[in-house]
Amino acid sequence: MAKIDLDKMLEKIKSSQWSLSDVDWDAPGAELITAEQWPKLKAFMADLMWIEHVGARAFAAMAKKAPDDTLREIYTYFHAEEQRHANAEMALMKRWGMLEENELPEPNNNLRLVIEWLDRFADDQPVYVLGTVVPMLEIALDGALCKFLLETVDDPVCHQAFELINNDESRHLGVGFTVMEMQGHGKTYRELARMVAQLMDPRLILGIASYFPLLNKMRDNIIEMGLPEEKLYAAMQKFEKIGGRSEDGRRNPWFQIIKYHGRFVVDRGNRFYHKPIDALVKVTDAIPRRAFPAVPSWVREITYQTTA
Amino acid sequence: MTDVQTTPVVTTLIIGAGFAGLGSAIRLQQEGIDDMVILERDKQVGGTWRDNQYPGAACDIPSNLYSYSFAPNPDWSRSFSGAREILGYIHHLVNQFDLARYIRFGTNVTGLNWDQDRGVWEATTEGGETYYAKTVVMAQGPLSNPGFPNIAGIEDFQGKKIHSAQWDHNYNLEGKRVGVIGTGASAIQIVPSIVGKVDKLTVFQRTPPWVMPRPDFETPDWQKLAFRKLPLSQNALRKALYLAHESMALGVIWNSPLTRLAERLGKWHLRNQVKDRWLRRQLTPNYRLGCKRVLVSSDYYPALQQPNCKLITWPIARIDENGVRTVEGIEHQFDCLIFATGFNVSNAGTPFPITGVDGRQLNDEWKRGASAYKSINVAGYPNLFLTFGPNSGPGHNSALVYMESQINYIVKAVRTITSLDLKGLDVRQSAQESHNRAIQKRLSRTNWNTGCKSWYLTEDGFNATMYPGFATQYALQMKEVVLKDYRLLPHS
Ligand SMILES: Cc1cc2nc3c(=O)[nH]c(=O)nc-3n(C[C@H](O)[C@H](O)[C@H](O)COP(=O)(O)OP(=O)(O)OC[C@H]3O[C@@H](n4cnc5c(N)ncnc54)[C@H](O)[C@@H]3O)c2cc1C
Ligand SMILES: [Fe+2]
Ligand SMILES: [Fe+2]
Repeated sequence: MAKIDLDKMLEKIKSSQWSLSDVDWDAPGAELITAEQWPKLKAFMADLMWIEHVGARAFAAMAKKAPDDTLREIYTYFHAEEQRHANAEMALMKRWGMLEENELPEPNNNLRLVIEWLDRFADDQPVYVLGTVVPMLEIALDGALCKFLLETVDDPVCHQAFELINNDESRHLGVGFTVMEMQGHGKTYRELARMVAQLMDPRLILGIASYFPLLNKMRDNIIEMGLPEEKLYAAMQKFEKIGGRSEDGRRNPWFQIIKYHGRFVVDRGNRFYHKPIDALVKVTDAIPRRAFPAVPSWVREITYQTTA
Repeated sequence: MTDVQTTPVVTTLIIGAGFAGLGSAIRLQQEGIDDMVILERDKQVGGTWRDNQYPGAACDIPSNLYSYSFAPNPDWSRSFSGAREILGYIHHLVNQFDLARYIRFGTNVTGLNWDQDRGVWEATTEGGETYYAKTVVMAQGPLSNPGFPNIAGIEDFQGKKIHSAQWDHNYNLEGKRVGVIGTGASAIQIVPSIVGKVDKLTVFQRTPPWVMPRPDFETPDWQKLAFRKLPLSQNALRKALYLAHESMALGVIWNSPLTRLAERLGKWHLRNQVKDRWLRRQLTPNYRLGCKRVLVSSDYYPALQQPNCKLITWPIARIDENGVRTVEGIEHQFDCLIFATGFNVSNAGTPFPITGVDGRQLNDEWKRGASAYKSINVAGYPNLFLTFGPNSGPGHNSALVYMESQINYIVKAVRTITSLDLKGLDVRQSAQESHNRAIQKRLSRTNWNTGCKSWYLTEDGFNATMYPGFATQYALQMKEVVLKDYRLLPHS
């Protein structure tokens, strides 16, 4: 059985902690970023950092809804670890001269929508909605974005930081898929009924409306940076493979939905999906800044500073 | 053998000179028993209120109820008096009832041994002296041993470390970067008291408490005068406070519409004092009110929002030489760390070895959670009386109200032993068991047993601490020494 023991996992998480100060952010190597790379990398890192940060917020919501103490504590750690990833990525940006003193990169409009949605509605979502969406995002990050970044960037400090980050991520994925399997276990019909009901929930629809364009936007971003699209497909396939490795996992209706959605995202030929979503990306990009409410205060919690 | 002849056997030996020990001495004395000795490990009386002199330390039960009915104090300066004033009241008790003559300071009890042949308890102490007594009152306090959290690297910290119950008044907090670990009863009193003094204050929270507004005010002079001239008026206030707290049991102990109401009050208090949505979320408890101790404060939330104060809810990864590393990857650096992390509660074991009839060890019997008969006696340990024993803890009312019931019970039992000239009064195992069956059944329906982790419960979730009912019910249970529940052991 591939399922992991969550109590042991919690112990492992607790004993695998690291801090920003474990990395020497002033070590040589920053000069390896080429002038041509720099602007694209800046845009990419800003998005990446924000995705980690909203991922963190999603874990905070999951901690609130966790079905037992162990999972609650695990999600509480993951919430903080995602924040750590965002902080570390900001520290890299600072190192590469992409941030002024005390500057916080502006989130793009898609992210602003996701932030808004998370802040207002995430806490009300049942744990299995986020519990399936989050591993999808994580695998996209882990399997595609980060690997790609490491292939293009030679800075050893970047490699050091992402080795730490990826170690965390492998635990996130382990838990994510285990939980998906737990949720699939023997309650298909009940879940299906509940799921349909939830799909009708306008709050969830709002969430979908902001999450879908985010994925397309990210895809555009990385393609812009020269990532072969196949890499993204491979990552999506990994999600299908691991998530669907067991009967329980396959029975989780949310897994099925996210799986099909993932297929849509990577299949650029699917115009029925991409036309409207790409349009949404354009639309959201065009939303004027002032149309958004003030960002919630948790957004300001990230920092590249190793000490406080 | 020479030892036995030269050392007198007193009627009662009391361990601890806090509220419980001194209160027992007063009531025994009033009932004509005065060959007793009080062993106190410290150099002063006062227990909790001697040790907890941290900034802002105060009771959270109104002073008129958090005092002994047999020794009313008309002069309480506030509705919730501070630690210094409470300690003053305890010193006053010692003088008023001339208790100093019984107390042996600097005497740390390390073991109790029942001498079956003589019907005498033998108390060994750290200093090597042995004391003998017919009866023993355990008044060593439920919360008298400061507890540090189990955080890696705690010894590595190079700055100043202070436990809330061992405050260092010589250390100047002025202008310091200070971290407070814990957000329980002590922390929420410390934070508002020092936030204006320190340079930077960081509060590390694991679980947010339920916090109710605190109706604290100074006692007007006319009221002090009235209490002096008309003691009945103070008595009436005490009764009213008592009943008000009794009614709170409905919300705190059991899940009732009043629980919802109290939760709403707590949430209102939070909404009213904290405008930021995220901070409010961080401070919102995720467990039912009453499952852990309900706190009262009107200045905790405002203090957290001072510009130099920050609440951290990230889990702590470890402590290092500079401060606290949290899981979001940041090292929070401090000059001083304050541990407001409570006490080592022995709800599954005894504070020192206690050997009863036929060599039985109370520590072994309590391994899986302490239990006793009416919280006060344990079968196989004749003439041994517990204050604050298993399942005597109040969640909603003054500890001293419960203590008075216990003390009066002890006095009656000791009188029984002396007047019948018994070798021992030993509670029957069957009586103890049936008492506990009923208690545990009632506990299963309380808020404490609804799944949150608290010091009320053992590691396995057994509740050996709290009394599931009203103080009035408890008092009723303790009203009489039911002799048929005991074996009366004659001198042979
Ligand atoms: C900060 C704080 C605030 C509190 N506020 C309230 C409140 O508002 N309302 C309320 O009802 N309750 C409150 N309590 C609970 C409080 O503990 C009790 O109300 C009461 O003070 C306990 O009295 P005690 O005599 O049983 O124990 P203690 O006051 O702890 O006294 C025990 C004494 O025994 C001594 N001792 C311990 N072990 C040994 C040994 N082996 N040998 C010799 N001597 C020993 C100790 O030194 C101590 O002096 C509070 C507790 C704390 C810690
Ligand atoms: Fe991450
Ligand atoms: Fe992650």
